[in-house]
Amino acid sequence: MIFQPDLITGVISFIFTLLIFSYLIGDNPLFRIAVYIFVGVSAGYVAAIALWQVIVPRLAYPLVFGSMNEKIFAAIPLLGSLFILLKVSSRMAGVARMTMAFLVGTGAAVIVAGAVMGTLIPQVGATINFFDLNAAVAVGISKGEAFGNGLVVLFGAIFSLVYFHFGASPKADGSMRRFGLIEIAAWVGRIFIGITLGAIFAGVYAAALTALIERIASIINFFSNLFGNF
Amino acid sequence: MRVITAFIAIASGVLVLGGYFFPALAGVQTLLLNWAIILAGVAAIVGILNLTSVHMDKIRRGEKGSAYSALLIIGLAVTFFFGMILRPQHDVMQMVALNGIIIPVEAALMGLLTVSLLYAAIRLLRRRTDMMGIIFLLTAALLFLGSATLPFGDIPVIGTLIRPWVSQILALGGARGILIGVALGALTTGLRVLFAVDRPYGGT
Repeated sequence: MIFQPDLITGVISFIFTLLIFSYLIGDNPLFRIAVYIFVGVSAGYVAAIALWQVIVPRLAYPLVFGSMNEKIFAAIPLLGSLFILLKVSSRMAGVARMTMAFLVGTGAAVIVAGAVMGTLIPQVGATINFFDLNAAVAVGISKGEAFGNGLVVLFGAIFSLVYFHFGASPKADGSMRRFGLIEIAAWVGRIFIGITLGAIFAGVYAAALTALIERIASIINFFSNLFGNF
Repeated sequence: MRVITAFIAIASGVLVLGGYFFPALAGVQTLLLNWAIILAGVAAIVGILNLTSVHMDKIRRGEKGSAYSALLIIGLAVTFFFGMILRPQHDVMQMVALNGIIIPVEAALMGLLTVSLLYAAIRLLRRRTDMMGIIFLLTAALLFLGSATLPFGDIPVIGTLIRPWVSQILALGGARGILIGVALGALTTGLRVLFAVDRPYGGT
């Protein structure tokens, strides 16, 4: 009997799916075997990708085959890499601080730019766009409905933000309470956050259910293909 | 050392941030980001080396569960060995490691979430029956019912009117507030690092 590549993938995938689903009867050695092998294989795969797709083309190749300029520019991350590798030894870990400082500084800049240009400006812009009544009419929504929806989204965003304002001042009885108006806005914000988290929960649950159905379908397909082949 | 590390963090951060706003700094930004990608790749390798050393220690000491650690090391070594020889894009690597183990295990673990989430929702209903808990579960149930595909189509009113309005207007308002809040938090944290108020790289 000649084994087809798809059959090998199907057998491995079938075994691991069953091992993982064995968790439904409680934590057991079969589940642990699958999880530990999964972590090992994933780590090995990530290491191979990091070497072949990052370190070899961006560091090793310019150092060996690059021009003088490329070699000089590649020498700096090479030095940084050596510093990071020294982190494995607890005595030499301090040397890696300079490289970590570079990574943290660069990461912070990317985060700042991402937060402003990727979230703040687009989200504020999208909230404002709800009040573009002519655009709403163009897609068949009445002006009143568009304005009402815009108000709900705007107040939802504001009240949800207010909910996370925890600044409070001490009262005469020594208790700490938020300013009255803030307290009311935060209460409304809590309702919006509850609705949002409920919607997110429903989305995650639907995704989990889809994954479960896909796995069960793969088991059924595996058996039907197996018996079809024989 | 403290001054040098703070200087490196601030200088690299300012140059990368400047690249977004001043075209003249775009070249420097690309170079620094390329270095950061290389260093992040090396850091990932160091992390995997650390994982290996922790599990090797467990095996050496013969601790409880060292057999599982041995499986992890074997899985890691075999995948890395073949990944280096064949390359990760090779058909065998894709077939066995990715489509045979990684993706099915991830999907099966995701599938297990169905049971865990249902159990968590029931526990929430039993232990915290306050306004927030009820709104949370009511919304989840409403959206789930509304998006269910039934033989006769959408459930009237819930599927056609309430679900779209709750998910696209009500939940959107809260989600937008949460997203803006997260972005403001990330912005503040990033600026604190760039002004060297926070020094997570050491040297406080």
